[in-house]
Amino acid sequence: MSFTVDVDQNQFMPEGGRTVNAVVTVASSADMTPAPSDATRAAEVIMVDCSGSMDVPSMKMSSARTAVCAAIDVLHDGTAFAVVAGTNTAWPVFPSDGTTAIADQSTRAAAKRAAMSLRASGGTAIGTWLRLACGIFETYPAQLRHAILLTDGKNQHETPEQLQAAIGRCEGLFSCDCRGVGTDWEVAELRRISTALLGTVDIVADPEGLAADFAAMMESAMGKQVADVALRVWTPQSAVVQFVKQVAPTVEDLSSRRTQTGPQAGDYPTGAWGPGESRDYHVSVEVNPAGVGQEMLAARVSLVSGSDVLGQGLVRAVWTDDEALSTKINPRVAHYTGQAELAAVIQDGLEARKQGDEETATAKLGRAVKLAQQSGNEDTAKLLAKVVDVVDAATGTVRLKKSVADADEMALDTRSTKTVRVKKEHA
Amino acid sequence: MTSEVAGTACPSCGRTTAEGDAFCEYCGAELAPAVVSDASPGFVPSCPVCSADRSIPQPTGVTADGYCESCGRKVPTGRDHVELDLGLLAGATDRGLRHPRNEDAMALATADTQGGPVAVAVVCDGVSSSPRPDEASLTAAQAAIRVLLDGVRMGDDIAEASRDAVQEAATALNALSGRAGAPSTTFVSAVVESRAAGPAETAPMTITTAPGSAPTVGDDAAGPAAPGTVVVASGSPDSAVSGSNGAVPDSGDGASGSDSASCGVITICWLGDSRAYWLAAGGSQRLTADDSLAQEMVDSGLLGEAEALASPQAHVITRWLGADIAEPRPHVTRFVPPGPGVLLVCSDGLWNYLPEAEDIAALAMPGALTDPAGAAGTLLKFALDAGGMDNITVVLVPVPLTLSRSSP
Repeated sequence: MSFTVDVDQNQFMPEGGRTVNAVVTVASSADMTPAPSDATRAAEVIMVDCSGSMDVPSMKMSSARTAVCAAIDVLHDGTAFAVVAGTNTAWPVFPSDGTTAIADQSTRAAAKRAAMSLRASGGTAIGTWLRLACGIFETYPAQLRHAILLTDGKNQHETPEQLQAAIGRCEGLFSCDCRGVGTDWEVAELRRISTALLGTVDIVADPEGLAADFAAMMESAMGKQVADVALRVWTPQSAVVQFVKQVAPTVEDLSSRRTQTGPQAGDYPTGAWGPGESRDYHVSVEVNPAGVGQEMLAARVSLVSGSDVLGQGLVRAVWTDDEALSTKINPRVAHYTGQAELAAVIQDGLEARKQGDEETATAKLGRAVKLAQQSGNEDTAKLLAKVVDVVDAATGTVRLKKSVADADEMALDTRSTKTVRVKKEHA
Repeated sequence: MTSEVAGTACPSCGRTTAEGDAFCEYCGAELAPAVVSDASPGFVPSCPVCSADRSIPQPTGVTADGYCESCGRKVPTGRDHVELDLGLLAGATDRGLRHPRNEDAMALATADTQGGPVAVAVVCDGVSSSPRPDEASLTAAQAAIRVLLDGVRMGDDIAEASRDAVQEAATALNALSGRAGAPSTTFVSAVVESRAAGPAETAPMTITTAPGSAPTVGDDAAGPAAPGTVVVASGSPDSAVSGSNGAVPDSGDGASGSDSASCGVITICWLGDSRAYWLAAGGSQRLTADDSLAQEMVDSGLLGEAEALASPQAHVITRWLGADIAEPRPHVTRFVPPGPGVLLVCSDGLWNYLPEAEDIAALAMPGALTDPAGAAGTLLKFALDAGGMDNITVVLVPVPLTLSRSSP
């Protein structure tokens, strides 16, 4: 599997211009590297909520059991794995000694038997689940470490600080896809975990959908080939990185995740990569302007895994007094600026709605409807239409719906970060 | 006529070489190879900004792709300012003040032939709107001078060799083109021969146009230039001019080449808006007509020259050399100097500031007659002082070709 790094930008800056924006597209080739030893490099932990509420209705617990079994069935032979039951504490369901088992026919069968015996009782302290997962991962030297976390409720039996500390311990050790079943859990809480652990977050409103979702998540995890890939961003002396955001397929601000790797370089984690993936990053750098006619390397964006450089792209700045050049707006930079704003106004709008501030909620969600329409983000537009009555999408005129299903509101919230792409040829 | 090359030591093996030899009889080294405005040997790139900053104690490094490791600025390459002096002719090229790199290129060569010394110059200006224009110009200049020099050494018809050189340059550009598009460049070549012009060459010629070709500005080149001295060889390779040429070098003129009355023959070939001028007391004139919208507007009587050049489209060129042009149709002109003077070949970085031949002559003459390298520097400095909006390339060839001046 190989990588390409492409930079799309308008490198022309007006005299004195300081801010350089670029969309960096990282893509992996579609070829699978057939390496039988690869499977032994992967470890998976499935954390499943077994709090008392999972029995209300009882179908949630039974669906969760089936979903865990579905995920186990997808595990490749040789993958190290474990199942954790989570309540106000965490215990290792399989293997029971708090380590991992190596997937084969018999361990998969044993693990599924253990999963089918899961019963609901107790509270919810997600931080303890994460800590146990950390402990399990540390017993096995896998390169690709991934977890699935399922909950149906709020993190009631520990403080937010305890959860935050647990997340901090897991960061960089493993990635985690988070799912909430039903509508009694909190989107912001799970998003905090999935963002920190470079995973996805989504709602599975109907427990029936859990098995398919778990199998799909595990499929995707099994497809990963290269672990711990980072964007290394070199910038000139005295330049400031304004932000580094993943903008496709979802918006994830990586700015605060920087690890300094040299006097003028820092790494931003992108997690693990499978074949045929493509992700876009919006990089914004503020530089000291040079004179008209001068060219500067505003950023060198390298894709690194350990000590390997997998690809590289250059973000350039050329100062010109030709306004026709410097005022040209790069369509992809503009598009993703809009998509990031779309995610932000949805989250802000829903928060305002929760606080009873209808005026702000209407303004923010109206803006969201307009942005979704302009950018052709139809999925988000559909989700918005379940929360507001759209009077005129073009102007963003909306009315808040009087009654909104919790599931619709949470779906809009969790999926607000999903973006659509524009083709480069559009430019 | 004697040549400095004759009897000199081979630069490679040190043995004495025979007069007129292009290659050393002993080691095979090329005795007077063409020189191009590539990075000068021993050039070490460094960041001009950071090395001037005293708060930075260590010299900063330069990345493989040419940026300062500290401040990120694009560091000048070896091509940004190059001066070449071959004695018979000299040139200078410069990035200018507003462009990030030098996309102009020049190639110079000399040869010692039976008809006396010959000077060859090629100037190319990479088309900024095409990909890799800097590579395009250098590649075209290198490919073309090779063909021209071979033609000169073989005693080929120079008009023919000029067209071959353009074709060869086009082929080289094709090899450069990739998925990003077709690298393109302007082109102007000049070959100054010492031999006396044949009678057919000094007589006014009827302009013939290649069958099927549209009338273009270049075909009118003889119009504004002084009739009787500028002779336009047709765009068609099978024109009568070519035929009469072949006989000239064998007609014994070579022996009388030192005749003070003869100032040789100049063959110019071009595509685009890089130019050639003849600079002489009382007789300075432009020898080329641009392939540009501005020139078309002037030719069609729509605008005066000053107005046309001020229009936003003035520099849109209508012919060029590029990987997207299957069969380039260059203009070829033969000029027989009426007396001593200097041939100037330049890119628009110079003539934008000084389009009139008389004005250029006022600046460069008479110094250019005896010190072409110094005069090239003078013209270059003028263009830089005037704003240096574009890359600038200037090549000067004093005529008749004289070897009395200092050799490089």
